[in-house]
Amino acid sequence: MLVNDKFLGITSYLMSKIVLDNDKFLELYRVMIRIRTYETTLRTLSREGKIPARFGMYTGQEGVATGVSAHLKKDDQIGSTHRPVGHLIAKGINLDKLTAELCGKATGFNKGKAGSYHIFDPETGCLGANGIVGASVPMCAGYALRNQIKNDGRVTVSYFGEGGSNQGGIQETLNLAACWNLPIVFICENSSPVVQRMLGHEMDYPQLTIDNVSIRAAGYGMPGSTHDGWDVEEVYRVAGEAINRARSGKGPTLLEFKVHQFEGNLEGRLEANEKDKPFCPIDVLEHKLRIRQILKKDTEEKIRLEELELVQKAVKFALSSPEPDIKEAYTDVFGGAF
Amino acid sequence: MPERIITMSEALNEAMFNEMKKNSDIILLGENVSSSFRGPTKGLKDAFGRERVRDAPISETSFIGAGIGAAITGLRPIVELMLVDFGLVAMDQILNQMGKTTYMSGGAVKIPITLRAVIGAGTSSGATHSESLYSLFAHMPGIKVVLPSTPYDAKGLLTSSIRENCPKVFLEHRLLYNVKGNVPKEEYTIPLGVANTCNEGNDVTIVASGLMLHESLKAAEKIKNKVSVEVIDPRTIYPLDEETILKSLQKTGRLIVVDEDYRYCGFSAEIAALAAEKAFKQLKGPIYRLATPNTPFPFNPRLERELLPNAEKIEKLIQKVIGE
Ligand SMILES: Cc1ncc(C[n+]2csc(CCOP(=O)(O)OP(=O)(O)O)c2C)c(N)n1
Repeated sequence: MLVNDKFLGITSYLMSKIVLDNDKFLELYRVMIRIRTYETTLRTLSREGKIPARFGMYTGQEGVATGVSAHLKKDDQIGSTHRPVGHLIAKGINLDKLTAELCGKATGFNKGKAGSYHIFDPETGCLGANGIVGASVPMCAGYALRNQIKNDGRVTVSYFGEGGSNQGGIQETLNLAACWNLPIVFICENSSPVVQRMLGHEMDYPQLTIDNVSIRAAGYGMPGSTHDGWDVEEVYRVAGEAINRARSGKGPTLLEFKVHQFEGNLEGRLEANEKDKPFCPIDVLEHKLRIRQILKKDTEEKIRLEELELVQKAVKFALSSPEPDIKEAYTDVFGGAF
Repeated sequence: MPERIITMSEALNEAMFNEMKKNSDIILLGENVSSSFRGPTKGLKDAFGRERVRDAPISETSFIGAGIGAAITGLRPIVELMLVDFGLVAMDQILNQMGKTTYMSGGAVKIPITLRAVIGAGTSSGATHSESLYSLFAHMPGIKVVLPSTPYDAKGLLTSSIRENCPKVFLEHRLLYNVKGNVPKEEYTIPLGVANTCNEGNDVTIVASGLMLHESLKAAEKIKNKVSVEVIDPRTIYPLDEETILKSLQKTGRLIVVDEDYRYCGFSAEIAALAAEKAFKQLKGPIYRLATPNTPFPFNPRLERELLPNAEKIEKLIQKVIGE
């Protein structure tokens, strides 16, 4: 696998402060493999025309959702984006129903009405992928408000991109969350860490004139910091601190993770960029695990195989599921029967 | 004149290119407008520079607002919304500020802005990426709403829109960008508020715009040996060319409105009200509306098709109307 200077450079630094025990390491590894295997499989399905519309991929960013969700309980809520699959899987969403939803089937979480953009699964606290950039964030403040009022220790994690961070709704919500001291962690995944791009198009004017979105946190009165999103161990460490802070009533945090988006398939988005490849969170973790002699070849193969089987089972479930009844086109507008 | 067949996307591009070339006060703002991958705005950055063709952050409120402000102070901005649904993020700027400022100022300020937005269902894109929303804009005061359905109209209507001194929402159906048609190379305008009778007929009048015009024409063609259908494209939702519709009703006495936007309190109801108020005596039967029910668009393509009007449904409705 991939070993380059960059890793060797960071390895010695990271070796000095191991934060995870071996089992936790393998657990995170497994989740990242699950997301990657899932998305690559689904991408093939999409290309074969078995998914009604293209969907945005999370490939390259697995370290973030995985490291964050490792601290979340089932009842904690997340709000997601237009590229939600990684967030949802890390939060523990059922793969069968997820796949069925992406295929528009009756057995999907939302009867095939959501597709990838609007998936909701209240069962696992996945309260909304969102097709409108930035739109899940204000609602996340509401989940956190509920948690504060009910005082039952739940927290909310709100994901958005560096492009989304410029939406008024997000900026307003950062202020609101600080004013009300809400139990929420804002996670900005900065997927254009080197060259600014929007939907894969290079931009003629920047959409940000700062390198780190997290410096805005100070302007709203909350702690903020920027980290390498391709290092799941680092994500795990800082997300843990922020989530504990929220859980113990100390208020919101804004965390920014730099990530390299390998491939996306929304409108004209550029395909895999070779320069991004060294920042693969899975390769980085595998490298560390090998150096620390935690990951043996047979364990790795076993994990990969088990996850592939899980994904294949989900695809089978989705493809053999029925289409929603035509009458469903008219139901659920107000939550009652038609 | 020899025919020159180009796509609607190219026709729009040509209108912007010609106007921007003549008038340096015209600027273009929006997400990814500098990109060479996007049809209607392709090449404009290279031709007119980054000063006038500007990429904006994903902040609809601010760049639409900036367009309005620039218009108030003498520029003539074209602002692009990647999809009309995203404009809902910026409703205050569009409906309060853009639509009302001229009136509130007692005419002291003018707002020559063209807010171009992509609309349309039929691509399984779900509830926040599929709407048309022209009824919403037309419902509010102070905004002209333009909806071209052919490449020829697209060029003429966009040229007029850019030149007019008031706020316009200019809607482009995503499934029509690649539709081809004859478009003269030279400049021309189509005034806002003049309908186009696309198919002449005597038995029933259909009013339809955008993609629905094409579906209606298909239906009219299919049934032409049995029923003579007049198909009218209003071209602008507001102002509305009442005269063309009323004249047609005098002839046919029967009206069908086909509308991709939501049905309730919408464009189809407006046309029906027009007929009831001003052509009541000529009507031979009830007015029929084929519009999208007040239901968000589902992701599943079959469910989406169920909700949308199409040629087949229009043809059935024509048969029903004639049978009465
Ligand atoms: C309000 C709104 N404006 C525009 C879009 C179109 N759009 C979808 S994704 C996207 C880019 C989002 O960038 P960012 O938030 O940085 O996310 P990422 O690049 O990581 O996907 C845009 C402009 C949208 N969905 N919603």
